[in-house]
Amino acid sequence: MLVAACVKLVDLRPQVDRVSGAVTPSATPGCSAADRAAVELALTLADSWSASSAVVCCGPAAADPVLREFAASGAGRLVRLDVDGAPDSSIVGRLLAGVLGDLGADVVVCGDYSTDRGSGSVPAWVADGLGAAQALGLVQVRSEGVGSLRATRRLDGGRRERLVVDAPCVVSVEGSLAELRRAPLAAALAARDLPIEVVDAPGVVVPAPLATRPWVPPTRVQPAPTGSAALERVVELTGALVERTPPRTVELPPRQAAELILEQLRTWGYLDADDSTPGGTAAT
Amino acid sequence: MSDFDVVVVGAGPAGSAAAIELARAGRSVCLLERGPSPGSKNMYGGVVYGRILDTLVPAWWEQVPVQRWVTRRSTMLIHDEQALTVDFRNPGWGAAPFNGATTFRPDFDAWLAGVAVDAGAVLVCSTTATGLIREGGRVVGVRTDRPDGDLRAPVVIACDGVNSFLAKEAGMYPHTGAENFTVGVKETIALPREVIDERFAVRGDEGVDIEILGCTGDVPGGGFVYTNATSVAVGLVLSLPALAAGPDRPEELLRRLKAHPAVAPLVEGGEVLEYSAHVIPEAGYRMMPELVGDGILVAGDAAAMCLAAGIWLEGVNFAIGSGAAAGRAATRALARGDASAAGLAAYREMLESGFVLADHRRLRDAPHLVMGDLAQRGLPAVACGVMEDLFTVRNPEPKQGVRRIVRNRMRRNGIRVRDAVREGLRAVRTFG
Ligand SMILES: Cc1cc2nc3c(=O)[nH]c(=O)nc-3n(C[C@H](O)[C@H](O)[C@H](O)COP(=O)(O)OP(=O)(O)OC[C@H]3O[C@@H](n4cnc5c(N)ncnc54)[C@H](O)[C@@H]3O)c2cc1C
Repeated sequence: MLVAACVKLVDLRPQVDRVSGAVTPSATPGCSAADRAAVELALTLADSWSASSAVVCCGPAAADPVLREFAASGAGRLVRLDVDGAPDSSIVGRLLAGVLGDLGADVVVCGDYSTDRGSGSVPAWVADGLGAAQALGLVQVRSEGVGSLRATRRLDGGRRERLVVDAPCVVSVEGSLAELRRAPLAAALAARDLPIEVVDAPGVVVPAPLATRPWVPPTRVQPAPTGSAALERVVELTGALVERTPPRTVELPPRQAAELILEQLRTWGYLDADDSTPGGTAAT
Repeated sequence: MSDFDVVVVGAGPAGSAAAIELARAGRSVCLLERGPSPGSKNMYGGVVYGRILDTLVPAWWEQVPVQRWVTRRSTMLIHDEQALTVDFRNPGWGAAPFNGATTFRPDFDAWLAGVAVDAGAVLVCSTTATGLIREGGRVVGVRTDRPDGDLRAPVVIACDGVNSFLAKEAGMYPHTGAENFTVGVKETIALPREVIDERFAVRGDEGVDIEILGCTGDVPGGGFVYTNATSVAVGLVLSLPALAAGPDRPEELLRRLKAHPAVAPLVEGGEVLEYSAHVIPEAGYRMMPELVGDGILVAGDAAAMCLAAGIWLEGVNFAIGSGAAAGRAATRALARGDASAAGLAAYREMLESGFVLADHRRLRDAPHLVMGDLAQRGLPAVACGVMEDLFTVRNPEPKQGVRRIVRNRMRRNGIRVRDAVREGLRAVRTFG
């Protein structure tokens, strides 16, 4: 039995400009709290099942020192898929599934989503690639015997869902689930030179990083106010005393709700009649 | 059996300098740091004087992560709403080989530790030395907070900063009273680069260092303002016993400094990014611990080597100087196979013959002088008052002579000529 954790190298302290949204990278690479919790859970499960453990990362060579920290804490094998940049989540998921399949992983533990605008979809892609069961966004996981897990998942409105998941499975966990154990000093020193199995990932298409900027609604042409006095013109411009459509609350299934919102945006002029994306600029 | 030739505790400037010397001499050295990365736990005012790096890292200015090169140094005396500033500008400091630079500690400390690692030192972060391992009264390693965390080495260099627990545990630190310490507090305030350039009258990479006296109310101390690339550091250094005895809190005193008419225009509109605080071994030479023990050396702030002498607040260069000397002394002792106090004694000699102890010995009265009532209250009040009388035109009254103005102002501030002369002579003896 092999329990594997998947981790991603992220910038732990990037500076984000609050006005422009521009990201300035820091010199602090590492793994998110959720990824570290995933490694701890993988090690705990492997210990209690007398199974082997592995940590797999899809990322650049800069991830190696971080992976060695996990080895110091007890991870058995360290595997890195050599990919520079940030490919689409579906590609990362497929690549990881390929490696995990080759390793023969029975239980795969991931962090719930990476902190660099992660979608949280990689674990789902891994599960799909492995043809394994999946339980994502877990806040608690207990072993129910070898290869079997009892888990708690956070739902909306403060509710919880309890699940039983059996191997082969992929689970993703929140950072609060566990704290990575402290590595013994001798292990931390020994891990410094530990070799890492590097798997080539040729032909991976890494899209250019998303150029992001704050979304600003496009301007609309407004006729100049016509009043003769300044006050009249201001009142006309602001629409202060004009009869307005009062806000309304509708309860609809998601699809109809989305259609209604689009319709309303078209009515206000934020969307062209044949456009389904807001504004057409910097759409997210 | 030893794990390393030397364990250096603390990857601040002192520890990294020691590790660089040892690793370059071919010794196995472990550099222990409690923070997740070097510098992550450290704060200071903001200026590093890099001359001491010339021998350690030639052309260091091409590598060191700098915010701005200090080309303006000002000393400001504040009294009530008034301020008198002596401003020195030297564009020559803005070019190689430079003089002082503002830099952030997480950047600077990580860089210097990186030099040590490149030289062959083993850096272990997130690991706190919790105590000394001793055999027959001799230090032979440290205990750490990691499981199976003992590290053995014939020499331990304690560079664990002010209030060194290791030096205390080794029984080397007799002067631990609060009267020897000050606390430094600092706000880092974000401002656009061009706003800083305009407010401080600098261009490009040029930066400003302002030291302030008379801005700490009833608590003896001083203040500072330093420019970074896109932020300004504003801080105070405050006497610990006076803070403890009085009602004033450091953050309130800092708020008052920021609101002072001479400082407010420099920082207003900025966004506070960070508030931090750290203790300083203010008494310097008079509080220094024993520097050498059997199997142990103490360097940097751990040995109270920060120079806090009013117009000078220099600790990083003294830490690097003492750390490097400790590294060289340990190398020599190991080569001779004698890590006893006698074998390590060259450390003290190196410090005596260099700037570290020479400056400290010469300026040993400076901290006391600067924290005294005359420097704290009298000097700023009289200086500002004299300026007011000199430059207020009171026609039809005729102008007064300078001597008379000074005498009047001294009398109004309750300063006797005898006391002023005595303190003046002390100052000349100390700084002269
Ligand atoms: C407010 C303020 C302003 C200052 N301004 C200036 C200035 O402008 N210019 C200047 O030159 N100096 C300044 N100083 C002084 C300067 O910061 C210090 O003198 C200098 O940092 C001392 O370096 P060090 O390496 O001895 O100690 P530190 O920089 O304190 O480094 C000690 C290191 O040891 C680590 N450590 C501590 N205990 C342990 C342990 N048990 N196990 C493992 N690691 C441990 C710490 O995390 C730290 O990294 C200022 C200080 C303060 C507080």
